Amino acid sequence: MKPHDAQPDRRNFLQHSLLGTAGASMALASTSHVTVAAEPDNQPTHEATISNHVDVLVVGGGTAGTIAAIQAGRTGAKTMLVERGSQLGGTMTTGGVAFPGLFDAWGKQVIAGIGWELVRESVELDGGELPNFAKVPQRHWQNQVYTNQFLYAILAEEKCHKAGVELAYYEFPQAAKRVADGWQVDCVGFGTQRRILCKQIIDCTGGAEVVGLLGFDRLREEVRQPGSMLFKIGEEHQPGREQVHRLYVHGADSSNSRTVTQANLTGRRSVLAKVRAEKKRLMHLQPETGFRESYRIVGETMVTVNDYTSGRQFDDAISNAFYPVDLHTKTGVRPKPLKPGTVPTIPLGALIPKGSRDLIVAGRCLCSDQLANSGLRVQASCMGMGQAAGVAASLAAQTGTTPMEVPLAEIHKVLREHGAIIPGKA
Amino acid sequence: MRRSFVSLLTAMTFLVIAVTGVLAFVRPFSMTIVGLHALMGFLFIGVVGFHLANNLRPLKRYLRSKWMWINLAVTAALTTAIAMQPQPVKALLGLSGNLGPALDRFELHDDGLTYQYTPAPHYKLTLSVRMGDAFDPADPPEFAIWIENSSFYHIRTLHRPESADNEASLPYWSFKVKEYEKAKLAAAAGVDVDAISGATKNSSFDPADYMLPVDPEEPMPYRILVEINQRGDANEAVDDQPSLIYSVEVDNSDPHAFQLLDLIGYPQLEEDEQPPQWAIYYVDQRFDSALELIDSALLTIDRDKPSD
Ligand SMILES: Cc1cc2nc3c(=O)[nH]c(=O)nc-3n(C[C@H](O)[C@H](O)[C@H](O)COP(=O)(O)OP(=O)(O)OC[C@H]3O[C@@H](n4cnc5c(N)ncnc54)[C@H](O)[C@@H]3O)c2cc1C
Repeated sequence: MKPHDAQPDRRNFLQHSLLGTAGASMALASTSHVTVAAEPDNQPTHEATISNHVDVLVVGGGTAGTIAAIQAGRTGAKTMLVERGSQLGGTMTTGGVAFPGLFDAWGKQVIAGIGWELVRESVELDGGELPNFAKVPQRHWQNQVYTNQFLYAILAEEKCHKAGVELAYYEFPQAAKRVADGWQVDCVGFGTQRRILCKQIIDCTGGAEVVGLLGFDRLREEVRQPGSMLFKIGEEHQPGREQVHRLYVHGADSSNSRTVTQANLTGRRSVLAKVRAEKKRLMHLQPETGFRESYRIVGETMVTVNDYTSGRQFDDAISNAFYPVDLHTKTGVRPKPLKPGTVPTIPLGALIPKGSRDLIVAGRCLCSDQLANSGLRVQASCMGMGQAAGVAASLAAQTGTTPMEVPLAEIHKVLREHGAIIPGKA
Repeated sequence: MRRSFVSLLTAMTFLVIAVTGVLAFVRPFSMTIVGLHALMGFLFIGVVGFHLANNLRPLKRYLRSKWMWINLAVTAALTTAIAMQPQPVKALLGLSGNLGPALDRFELHDDGLTYQYTPAPHYKLTLSVRMGDAFDPADPPEFAIWIENSSFYHIRTLHRPESADNEASLPYWSFKVKEYEKAKLAAAAGVDVDAISGATKNSSFDPADYMLPVDPEEPMPYRILVEINQRGDANEAVDDQPSLIYSVEVDNSDPHAFQLLDLIGYPQLEEDEQPPQWAIYYVDQRFDSALELIDSALLTIDRDKPSD
């Protein structure tokens, strides 16, 4: 049976398949069978070369990219999300860092919007608990939200689908160039080649891969913070309630397939050694090392550690951020808390690669020095940036301008309409 | 003076000196006991004067005997030995419950208070609290100052409130002290007090271990907390504003001479927890004058190089 013969309403079908629930016309209710939906653009799956024409292309469906894509879709932009891995969530899900933070500072929420919506819904569906933001945590991480990584990934897919975002897994850009109406980005996946024509690109690859591919300057420390391999040995594991163990993978670098391979091999080798030494059962292992640091862009604005720790209110602030300065080194980590009342902000300029047009980043690759980045890179902040980038890119696509030239008030207005908290107005 | 009167007075004053001397050795330092011992000592010197005058003749005889020289030699030898404090003498002194005059000093002034703690000659900690506009010297607020380890266990109270009804007035501090009593019992029974950061590093109850860690490579961070409460400070929102908690973290691996305490919140009972716990909540709009009790609290630490 050809997939598109099975269900004329593909959108509805896909949604139900993803949810694992059956519509009235589908005989799925009591069985565990689901049928793969047709390619959204009606392009047969067996064809090796396909093409898309979209307003906004988001590359990297991690912490920031997922939110950016959902926001761009909800703002009405035709949006495509290309992710080299097999699921959404990035470091949160594939890396296993399923404890996003911090959405609150000093007793009130400072980051909300789509990221919070997703986190909250996955906690609720999992029967988990949300922290009470009015309470002073003894440690900053106690207000992180313990989330079920598996649920988060599929809820994110559902939200992308509802926002009309087209997903392409196992693919990554191989070449990109400027064309009359924006960009031409050529992606490859195994057995697939895709040409995407888009007006705006949002680079959420963590390491600003597309920015690098386009030849813009990037920053990278000689000694990067370690990555972490997350695993669990011993007792039964309840995802979302109990958290997995971590071991530092020093030298971890997400820059390319070779460095990622090395980090994964090192991490897994150490886990194996640990299992042998402790003579316990291995209950859980993330498929990939969680990377803390690789490239950051050289942006129109650089957030320095002083900007961060003083809570500088940038004129073009688009989102709040909140976390201690949290540099991990060979000797471990001692987070340096922010002074009471301080809430750092993220300027739009830190998301724009210097001298670029029609290009914006979100996530840990924003323009910042290493110390500022150690606090800015956390998930709630990445989600806040992602949402802002989604708005800026889609408004730029609609009006034929570039994100930096979209009036800030417009960005703020749309962000507010979509539940985000604007700096200074929390 | 009458012989019988002087002899009896000499014996009795000696008895008081002997008893207070023993008490001063075995019990913690007490101004009453040490004061009694010292002042009775002066009286004793005077009475001995009369005693000598009454017994001049036999004494002269003693002074001329060979026992005089033997006595002198024994006394000199014992004095030198004890004064030089070799190991056995040290061990004996170690049995004393009197660790000398208190290492800490507390002073209340019109505009605030100063607390000083000197666990070693080269380490002096001073906490200066400047009172704010809502501080009324005629009806001062209750407050407690204490130290906690990095697992948030109370280590020692530096200043305790005068009122007996602390639980109502300073519930967070009272709760911490109770937890501490439990932890101390558990520690005495050999139970791991701090499962998170390892028992060895944090299970000490001596503040000096945190301020002067044995291994400088392994410093033990700690926090100083102040809980303050003016009872019955009603406003439009509440009949009595809850107590407020200020805190500062001290880390000897990252030394600062001056640090300000930050207001971290007010305590609230979490009844859902089993057993119920006191947690800290961020201050909200219910607070006004309570925020004005303390203007600022400055912690100063003078760390001179220890002399070898
Ligand atoms: C071990 C560890 C502990 C952490 N602890 C916390 C914590 O306690 N709380 C907290 O909030 N944050 C924490 N963080 C930080 C936080 O998780 C990350 O910084 C944040 O998730 C990064 O988000 P991102 O969107 O920038 O990148 P990612 O989430 O890494 O997303 C990047 C995505 O892009 C994809 N991608 C990469 N290159 C390409 C390409 N060329 N083409 C297509 N797709 C590509 C990746 O597969 C990935 O899905 C931790 C991080 C680590 C590693």
